[in-house]
Amino acid sequence: MFEARLLQGSLLKKVMEALKDLLNEAAWDCSDAGIQLQAMDNSHVSLVSLNLRAEGFDKYRCDRNLSMGMNLGSMSKILKCASNEDIITIKAQDNADTVTFVFESPEQDKVSDYEMKLMNLDQEHLGIPETDYACTIRLPSSEFARICRDLSQFGESMVISCTKEGVRFSATGDIGTGNIKLAQSAKVDKEEEAVVIEMQEPVSLTFACRYLNSFTKATSLSKSVQLSMSPEVPLVVEYKIEDIGHVRYYLAPKIEDEEAA
Amino acid sequence: MGIKGLTQVIGDTAPTAIKENEIKNYFGRKVAIDASMSIYQFLIAVRSEGAMLTSADGETTSHLMGIFYRTIRMVDNGIKPVYVFDGKPPDMKGGELTKRAEKREEASKQLVLATDAGDAVEMEKMNKRLVKVNKGHTDECKQLLTLMGIPYVEAPCEAEAQCAALVKAGKVYATATEDMDSLTFGSNVLLRYLTYSEAKKMPIKEFHLDKILDGLSYTMDEFIDLCIMLGCDYCDTIKGIGAKRAKELIDKHRCIEKVIENLDTKKYTVPENWPYQEARRLFKTPDVADAETLDLKWTQPDEEGLVKFMCGDKNFNEERIRSGAKKLCKAKTGQTQGRLDSFFKVLPSSKPSTPSTPASKRKVGCIIYLFLYF
Repeated sequence: MFEARLLQGSLLKKVMEALKDLLNEAAWDCSDAGIQLQAMDNSHVSLVSLNLRAEGFDKYRCDRNLSMGMNLGSMSKILKCASNEDIITIKAQDNADTVTFVFESPEQDKVSDYEMKLMNLDQEHLGIPETDYACTIRLPSSEFARICRDLSQFGESMVISCTKEGVRFSATGDIGTGNIKLAQSAKVDKEEEAVVIEMQEPVSLTFACRYLNSFTKATSLSKSVQLSMSPEVPLVVEYKIEDIGHVRYYLAPKIEDEEAA
Repeated sequence: MGIKGLTQVIGDTAPTAIKENEIKNYFGRKVAIDASMSIYQFLIAVRSEGAMLTSADGETTSHLMGIFYRTIRMVDNGIKPVYVFDGKPPDMKGGELTKRAEKREEASKQLVLATDAGDAVEMEKMNKRLVKVNKGHTDECKQLLTLMGIPYVEAPCEAEAQCAALVKAGKVYATATEDMDSLTFGSNVLLRYLTYSEAKKMPIKEFHLDKILDGLSYTMDEFIDLCIMLGCDYCDTIKGIGAKRAKELIDKHRCIEKVIENLDTKKYTVPENWPYQEARRLFKTPDVADAETLDLKWTQPDEEGLVKFMCGDKNFNEERIRSGAKKLCKAKTGQTQGRLDSFFKVLPSSKPSTPSTPASKRKVGCIIYLFLYF
C-alpha cells in the first residue's frame, strides 16, 4: 500500500510543469524515505532528478518499495483538474497496475478521484558521482529564467563563464551577440535576491539554450536557483522545494570538435 | 541477404534489445554504412514514374541522388557517416550469388512476358528485380563522397564484416544497414532504416547485440550457430527446420555438432558436406582490414567540385547542390553536443518490479473517473 498526502497540492502541479517539458514518461520510485524520480530526455543530453522527502508530506505511507511508470502527459492532464488550493493524495496498491489521485477541496465539500494506468518502463538509471564543483553560483530564479529567455534569441547555445569578478552569460548568432554580467551582491537584504558566487577556479562552458529554457519551467518552485559547474562535466541546475526536497537538472556541455582542433 | 527470420526471433525472445529512436537523437554519433546495400536501395527506390533517374546521355543517377541527399540528411542531424564498400565476395557466397543470378534471369524472362502483356505494374516490379550495382555505380559514389568530405572504407571482403570490425574497435558507434548479419559479425549496435527518406517518417530501429544475447541467454558462438541454422548467405540449412525449431534445437543442444548428433534423421536430412564450420569461421574471423589502421576524417566539402561533378552532364540542379554543400559546411563548423551517458555511468537495471501487467504495457491509456461527494 502506498499513500502520500500533500496539503499544498499546487506544489505537485508545479513539479509537473517542471518535468513535462523534458520528459514524456518517467518512473516514480517510492520508498519509505520518499519519492524519487530520475530520467533522461530522449536525446540523453539532460537529466532530471526529483526528490520529495517523506517528512514533507502531511501523511506518507509506503509499505513496499514501488516503481510507478507514468505517462507524464496523462498525469499532467489529471493534475490540471485539481485546483491550486486542493489537497492531493496519491494512492496505489502493492503490485497494482493503476495509481489514484484524490483531490479534496479545503472545505472538504468536494472530493474527486482519478485513476490512471501505469506503464511498464525499463529506464536506464545513471549513477551520478558526488562532485565538488569548481564554481557554484546562486541567483534569483526569475533572473536566471530571464537571462535564458533573452539570450536564446541570439543563438542556439550560451556560454556561461564564471570568474571571481562575477558570472557572464553570452550568446552569439546571426543577428549579433548578447552578454549579461552579474556581479556578486555586496549587501544582502533578502537572501533569496542575492547573487552568491563560490569559486575555486574559473570555468567557462557552452550549453544549448533549448534545454536551459526547459529547466526554467521550475522557476515557480523556488525563489533562487543554484548553478554548479566544473570544467568538462555536466552543469547542475538545482531548485530547492521548500521543506520537502529539490529538483535537479543535469546538462551535458557542448564539446569542441576533435578534428577542428 | 541477411539472416532469415532473425528479426522475428529477436522480437519474440529479446524485445528489450530493440529500441526505436528519432534520427535527431543520433547527433554526434559516427556510423558505418554498408555502401553497396544503400546504393542498391537507392537504385530501386529513387525513381520518378517508375523509371530510374538518368543523366543527359541516359546514364543512371539514382544512386548519386540517394547518396547525396540521404548523407546530407544524416550530416544535418549531426551524424558522421562513413561508407564501407564491398570487396571480393568470399568463395562461400558463390552458391548464394548463383541463386541471385538465377532469380535475375527469371525476372528478365518475366519482364519480357509482362511487356508483351502490357502489364505496367508487373513490368515495374520485374524492372526493380533486375537492378544490379556495378563498378561504375560504386566508383561514382566514391568520387561523390570524396567531394562531399565524407570518408569511406574499402573492405577486403564483406562490407558487413568490416562495419562490425569498426564498431568493435570503437571507431564508430553503430552499423547502419538493413542486413541482420551485421549482428552475426559482432557489430554491437545495428541501426535499421537510417538511410530511409524523411518522407517515410520511419523511426530508426536500434538493435543491441549484448541485450540480444542476454535475452536469448546465448553466448556469441551459440548465437552464430543459431544464425547459420536460420539461414545465412554462406550455406544451406537443414530442410524442414524453420526459425522456431532452429531456436529450440540450439536452446537444447547449444551447438550445431550436437544438433546433428541428436537429429531425427528419419524426418530431417542434413545437407551433404554441410559447410557450417566454414560459415562459422567466416562469421567469427572474417577477412577485414584492421580497423585501428583506418583513419576516418570528415573534411570540408568541395563545393565547386560538387557542382562540376553533379551539374555538368549529370543534370542535377545547381542551386540544390550548392545549398546541400552549404549544409555540409555548416555542420562541419562548431561544437558537438555532449551526452550525459558519456559522463555518468549507466547503472545495471536492478528491479523488474514494475507492477504493470503486460496488457497495459506501453499503452498510454488513462481512464478517468470523477466522483462528486457531498
